Amino acid sequence: MKLKTILLLAIIVLLTSGCSQKKPKPNGNASDANGIAADTVSIDESGVNGQSGYNGSSDGMKSVYFDFGKYNLSYDMQSTIALNASVLRQKLKGRKVKLEGNCDEFGTDEYNYALGLKRAKAVKDSLQAQGINAGQIVLVSFGESNPQCYEATDDCYARNRRVDLHLTR
Amino acid sequence: MRYLLMFIVTLQLFAVDATLKIEKDVEQRARISLVDGSGSSSGMNEKFFNTLFSDLKISGHFLPDHTHHRGSVANGTIAPSLKSKDYVLKYALSQSGGLKATVKLFNASDASLLAVKDYRIGSANKYPFLAHKIISDINAVLKYPDISWLNRYVVFSRYTTAKRSVIILADYTMQYQKTVIRGGLNLFPKWADSQQKSFYYTSFNGTLPTLYRLNIYNGSKTRITSSQGMLVCSDVSQNGSRILLTMAPNAQPDIYEMSVASRSLRQITNFAGIDVGGKYLGGERSIVFVSNRLGYANIFKKAIGGSAVSQLVYRGRDNNAVDANGNKVLYSSRESHNSFGLNAFNLYLMSANGSGTRPLTTTGVNQFPRFSANGNAVLYVKQYQNRSSVGYINLASKQTLLFPLGGKVQSIDW
Repeated sequence: MKLKTILLLAIIVLLTSGCSQKKPKPNGNASDANGIAADTVSIDESGVNGQSGYNGSSDGMKSVYFDFGKYNLSYDMQSTIALNASVLRQKLKGRKVKLEGNCDEFGTDEYNYALGLKRAKAVKDSLQAQGINAGQIVLVSFGESNPQCYEATDDCYARNRRVDLHLTR
Repeated sequence: MRYLLMFIVTLQLFAVDATLKIEKDVEQRARISLVDGSGSSSGMNEKFFNTLFSDLKISGHFLPDHTHHRGSVANGTIAPSLKSKDYVLKYALSQSGGLKATVKLFNASDASLLAVKDYRIGSANKYPFLAHKIISDINAVLKYPDISWLNRYVVFSRYTTAKRSVIILADYTMQYQKTVIRGGLNLFPKWADSQQKSFYYTSFNGTLPTLYRLNIYNGSKTRITSSQGMLVCSDVSQNGSRILLTMAPNAQPDIYEMSVASRSLRQITNFAGIDVGGKYLGGERSIVFVSNRLGYANIFKKAIGGSAVSQLVYRGRDNNAVDANGNKVLYSSRESHNSFGLNAFNLYLMSANGSGTRPLTTTGVNQFPRFSANGNAVLYVKQYQNRSSVGYINLASKQTLLFPLGGKVQSIDW
C-alpha cells in the first residue's frame, strides 16, 4: 500500500512537471512610452553637380562592350579601342577622359559595381597601351544604374554591359 | 515489479517529452487576442490591427488570433470566448494632434492586469512604429527573447531612372516610407551607429564617388572620403569607430578599413581581381568578403592584418553577396545554370568556421541578405513572379513574412 502511494505521488509529480508549458512570468506594469524615433529630415540633391543623364559615349567615341560576367576585352572590341584612342589623341589635349563602367541587371550589391570598374580598367589599360596618358584617364563604375535599355532580352542585356567614354575637364 | 515497470515506462515517456520541448513548436507560443477599443472603425484602425498582428506573428513568441475583436479598454473583464487564450491585449487608438494609444495586457484566464501603457506620437503616418513599439514592449514585459529589431528603421536606395536614385527610410513592414535623399545618384546607404542617427552613403554626383555621412535628424552632412572607380561603406564596427570600405584608389577594387576619427586607411585585401563586401566577424579581428579569386564570385575569410585567405563556401558558382553577425554568416547563391531568363538566387546560413550550412529560401530571386542588429532575424529582398517584396526570417522560430516593395532596390540596411 505504501509503495502504491509513493508511486502514485511520483507519477503526479512527473505529470505536472513534464507537461507544464513554461511561460514567462509577467513583470508588472510598464510606464511611459519614449523611444519612438522623432521626425527626420529630407534633403534634395538635384542641384548638386547632377549627372547629365546621357547614355552611351560622346565626343566621337564609341562604347566598348563585354561578355556576360567578363571584364576582359574581346577581339571584336580592338577596333573600337583603336578608334577611341585616335579620337583622344586629337581631342584630349589638357582635358581628361572619363571611362564609365556599366553592367547588366544580373548580380547585386557591390560586386556589380566592381565588375563595372574592372571593365573601365580594362579599357584604360588598352588606351594606355595605345599611348594615352594614364594621368588623363578617370574611372567610375555605375554598376547596373545606367542601363541603355530595359527589355528582358539578351540583346538588351549585352548593350548594358559596356564602358562609355566622355571628355571632361 | 509491475509498479517498478510502470514507473520506468513513465520516466521514459517524460524523457522524450523533455527533448521535444527544445524545439519551439506551435503549442509553445503564447496564444493572444487583440481587442480594439478605438471606437468607430476606420482605415487606420484596420491597418493598425494588421500591423500588430504581423508583429506578433514574426516575433515567433505568439500565436495571434486572426479576429479583430472589438471592446472597451476600460472594461477589465475578458470575454468568455477569449478565456482559452493565454493573453489578451486591449488597446484604443485616437487621432488628436498625432496618434495616441492606450494599451492594457491581461492574463486571459483570470483577467489579471499585467501591464498598462500610454503612447503618443506626433505624426500619424508613423503609426507602424507605434504598433512595433507596443508589441516589442509587451514582449519585454513577458520576458521573451528580445525583438527590438521591430522598432528599427530600414534604409534603402532605389533606382528611379538611369543614373538617378532616391534613399528612403522605412519601417520594417514598408508601410511607413519617407524619402530622405532625392535627386542625383546616391547609393549604398549603411547605418553609421547602432542608434540609427546617421547613415553613410555614396554620392555619384561629382567627378569621383564620394562617401558622406548624413544625420537624419538635423540634416548635417559630413564628407568622409572619395575614391576613383567605386567606393562603398560595407560595414561599421559595433562602436562606430571603424568602417570597412570597398574602394579603388588605384582602379583596383579592394577592401580597406578606415578609422572614422583619423580617416587613416589600412588595406585589408590586395588582389588583382575583385574583392568587395567586407563584413566584420565576431570580435572584429577578421572579415568575410566576396571575391572572384577562383574565377567566380565566392565567399572568403581573412584576418585583419593577416595574409592568409581561406575559402568559406564550397557550393555554388556565383555567391555574390554576404553578411555576418558574430559567428554567423549569411550569403546569396545563384542556383540557375542559364546566364539569363529564369534566375534563382537563394540564401544560406552557415557558421564562420564553415559548418552547419542551412538553406533559408527555396524559390525566387532572394538577394541583399542582411542580419538584424542582434543576429536573430534576417532581412532580404525577394523577386518572385514579377513581384518584389522585402522578406524577414526569424531564425529561431523560422517564421517568415513578406511585404510588397515597389521599384528596383539598389541596396538596403537595417
